[in-house]
Amino acid sequence: MKDLELARGITRRQRFLRDRTLLLMTLPAVVLLLVFNYVPLLGNVVAFQEYDPYGAGITGSPFVGTYNFERLFLDNRFWEVLVNTLVIFFTQLVLFFPLPIALALLLNSVLNDRVRAWVQGIIYLPHFFSWVLVVTVFQQMLGGAGLIAQQLRERGIGGFDLMTDPGFFKFLLTAQSVWKDAGWGVIVFLAALAAVNSELYEAAAVDGAGRWRRMWHVTLPALRPVIALLLVLRVGSALNLDFEQILLQRDQVGPGAAEVLDTYIWWTGVRTGDFGYATAAGIFKGVFSVLMVLLANKVAHMLGEQGVYSKR
Amino acid sequence: MTPNSPSTPSRRSFLASTAVAAAAVAGGFPLLAACGGPAQGGKEGATGGKALKAILPKYVPTNLSDPDIPGVNGSSAGYTKLPDPLATSVKGTPGKGGTFKAMTPIWGTVPKKDNAYYTAVNKALGATVRFDPQDGNTYQEKIGAVLAGSDIADIVTIPGWNMQGQIRNAVVSKFADLGPYLSGDKVEKYPNLANIPTGAWQMSVFGGKLRGLPMPSPVIGNAIFYRKDLLDGLGATLPTSADELLAFGREYTDARRKRWAFDDLWVCIQKMFGLLPDAPHYWQLDGDKLVHKIETAEYREALAFARKLHDARVVHPDAEANKDADAKIRFTGGGTLMYNDGTGSWHGLASEQAKANPEFDMRALDLFSADGGKPVLYQDPPAGVFSFINKDLPKERIEELLALVDYIAAPYGTKEFQLINFGVEGTHYTTKDGVPVRTDRGIQEAQPATYLFFASPPHVIAYPDFPEVVKEYAGWMARQAPHVRKPLFFGMQIVEPQRYASLYTPFDDLQKDIRRGRKKVSDIEEAVNTWKKSGGDELRKWYADILEKQGSGR
Repeated sequence: MKDLELARGITRRQRFLRDRTLLLMTLPAVVLLLVFNYVPLLGNVVAFQEYDPYGAGITGSPFVGTYNFERLFLDNRFWEVLVNTLVIFFTQLVLFFPLPIALALLLNSVLNDRVRAWVQGIIYLPHFFSWVLVVTVFQQMLGGAGLIAQQLRERGIGGFDLMTDPGFFKFLLTAQSVWKDAGWGVIVFLAALAAVNSELYEAAAVDGAGRWRRMWHVTLPALRPVIALLLVLRVGSALNLDFEQILLQRDQVGPGAAEVLDTYIWWTGVRTGDFGYATAAGIFKGVFSVLMVLLANKVAHMLGEQGVYSKR
Repeated sequence: MTPNSPSTPSRRSFLASTAVAAAAVAGGFPLLAACGGPAQGGKEGATGGKALKAILPKYVPTNLSDPDIPGVNGSSAGYTKLPDPLATSVKGTPGKGGTFKAMTPIWGTVPKKDNAYYTAVNKALGATVRFDPQDGNTYQEKIGAVLAGSDIADIVTIPGWNMQGQIRNAVVSKFADLGPYLSGDKVEKYPNLANIPTGAWQMSVFGGKLRGLPMPSPVIGNAIFYRKDLLDGLGATLPTSADELLAFGREYTDARRKRWAFDDLWVCIQKMFGLLPDAPHYWQLDGDKLVHKIETAEYREALAFARKLHDARVVHPDAEANKDADAKIRFTGGGTLMYNDGTGSWHGLASEQAKANPEFDMRALDLFSADGGKPVLYQDPPAGVFSFINKDLPKERIEELLALVDYIAAPYGTKEFQLINFGVEGTHYTTKDGVPVRTDRGIQEAQPATYLFFASPPHVIAYPDFPEVVKEYAGWMARQAPHVRKPLFFGMQIVEPQRYASLYTPFDDLQKDIRRGRKKVSDIEEAVNTWKKSGGDELRKWYADILEKQGSGR
C-alpha cells in the first residue's frame, strides 16, 4: 500500500519511465495475445454473412444481417444441443468437481512421503493419456463386447452395454473425466494445503480440536479462495466441454444425447460448410460464457471471496 | 495460481485470453483463412449435351495385354499372371525436375518420408513429389478446412464420398480447369490418360469445366464378405433372402464365445432393398415426379430390417458403438462372420492374413433382394476418387504435372504400373516363378496408395500374387453385373446450391439412431416433413430443371 501512495505523487509519464523494463517484458505476450486472440476475433463477422470460404471469402461474401442468428434461434436442434450441454456440465460439476478436493484432503492426511508420492504418481498418470486411448479403454472394459460384459456372459448372466446407452452417457463422460483428470486436479489443492501455516493446526490441537474440527475450521477455510476461483472458472467454461472426448463418442449414442455446442458448431461449420450459421452459434456461446463468469464472480463476491477478479 | 497473491491484472488477462480464445475457436479460422478470388459464376448445376462433349477428352484405349478372365456385362477384367516381358507405355522421363506438393488420404500407417520407394518413383518421374498423407477416416474435416485456407498443395486428392457439404463448390473455386490441356484430341499427348474411359472423365467435370483427374471405379464396389473357413467349420449355408440373413444371425451369433454374425452391414442392406444411392443419385422418377430416397418405401423397409438385426443382438457391440475403423480387425480376428467393405480391401486382407492365419478364407456374398429374388444394384459412379491441380500453378507446371500423372496412370502389365504399384524389384518385391511377392519393406512403403491417387488406369482385378482372389473377385463381380442398373443422373457431377448443403446431413444421424434402437422407423416422417419445408421441395424443383435441361445421364 505504501508503494501505491507514493505512486500517486508521480505523473503517468514518470510511472511509464519507471516501469519501462517491466512493460517491455510484457510486450511479446501482448503481441501474441493480439495476433492470436484478438485479431482472429474479427473473423466473427462471417456470422452476419452468407459466408463462402471457398470463393468469395470474407471480403466478398454478402451481408445478410441477423439471418444466421434467426435461423439459429428458430432451430430446435440448437436448443436441444444447449440443453444437452448444460445437463452434461451440471452432471460433471456435481459429480466431478468435489472429487479432487476430497482426494487432496485424503492425500494431505497421508504422512508417509513415499506412499504419498506413489499414489500421486499413479493418479496423475491417466491425465497424460489421449482421449482416443481413454475411450478405447472404456470400450474394452464397459462395451458390449468388453471385459466385464464378457465375464458376466460366461457366468450365464446377460451382458450389458454401457457405452451405447444414451441415458447413461452423461455419467459415462463424467466417469471418464474422473478417471483421467481427478488426480491432476489435485495439484492445485495440494499446493494450497501446503501453504497452510502448521502453527494453526498446532494451536487448534492445543485448544482441544479433533481431526474433524481442524479440517472444518483450518483446512477448508484455507482452501476456500481456491475452490471459489476454480468454480468461477469452471462455470465460465460451462459450454466448453471436452470437445474431443464427446466427438469421439458422439455416434456411439447419437446426437440426441451427445451433441453439445462445440460438436454442433464443428458439425455445421467444418463438416457441412455452413460457416455463417456455425459462427453465429459460436458467438452465442462466447456471450453466454461471459455472462456466466460475471454471474459466478458476483456470487463469489457476495460470499466474501475474491473470485477471478475484484473491483478496485 | 496460488491463492495468496492478488495479482489482479494477470488474472484478468488470463481470463480474457481463455474467453476470447473460445470465441475465436468457435468462429472458425476466418482471418488466417481469408483471401481467395471473387465468386465465380456458374458454380452450381450440371453439365450435359454439347457443352459436355466439347470438354471431354477423346477415348483412345491402349490394349497392351489381354486379361485371363475377360469382363462381362461391364464387370472388371481379371489378370492372374504378370505379362512377360512388361510393356513400356511412357518413353523417356516425363518430368522436368520440378517439385510438387501432394495431399492424399491414407488408411493405415503413413510410410516414412524420403523412403526408397518415393526416391525410386521420383527418379523415374524426373520430378519430386512430396507427400503428406492424411488419415482417410477424418479426411472430410481435413479437406474442408484446408480448402478454406490459402495454403493448398499443388495436387490434392478428394474421394467422392468426402464431397459432402460445400466441397464441390470449393473444387470449382480452387482448382485448375484442365480442359485446355486434355479436351478432345489434346489428351493424345498423354496416352495413358486417353486410355481412361469417357464415363470417368464425365464425372470429373465440376461447374462446367474439366477439373478432376479420375480414378475409375468398378460397376459395384461394395460387398458383404464372409469367412468361408469359419462358416464351413460351423456347417452354415449362405443366406439368400433378408429373412434367411436374420435367421443366420440368430443361429451363429454366440456372444459367450465372443462371436457375432455381423458387423455393420448397412451399405449392403441398402442394396438388398434396392435403395437409391446418395447425393446426387438419390432421386428416382415416379411418373414424371422426382421422388427422393428418404421418401421411398424401400428406405423404411431397409431401416426396419436393420433395426431387426439390432434387436436380435446379432451385430457386434463395437460396431453398434460406431467403431467402424476396427471392422477389419473384428473380421480377421473371428469376432464377426460377415462384414461390409469395399472390394478393394479383398486382396489386402488376404495377403495380410496369408502368413498369420493360413486357414483364413474370405469370400464375397452374392447379393440378393430382400424377398430372395434378383437384386436391384445401383451402379457406382464411374469414378470414385479424384485429384485436382491447384489453379495457381503456371501453365508449364500444370503440363509437367500432367505428364507425371500420365506416367502414373499406366495400365497393368507395363513397367510403369509395376514400379508405381509394387516398387523396386529386389527392394520392395521379389519375383518367384513370374509372381511378384512383396517384401515387408514393400508392404510398408509401396503398398499404401500414394501416387496411385493422382489418376488410375481403368479398373482391373490384377493380383498375380493371389490368383485365387482374382478368380473369386472377378467371378463374383461377373455374377452381380447383370443386376446392375444406372441410377438417375448417372455419371453426372452435380453441384448443389450452397443453401441446400445441410439438408440431407440430419438423415445420416437419423438412420443410425433408428438402426441402433434410439429412434423409431416412424420418426422418419417428421424428418422428411422438416426436410421438405426447409428446402427439400425446392431442391426437387432444382433437380427437375436439370433433368429437363441436361437429361438423366442414363
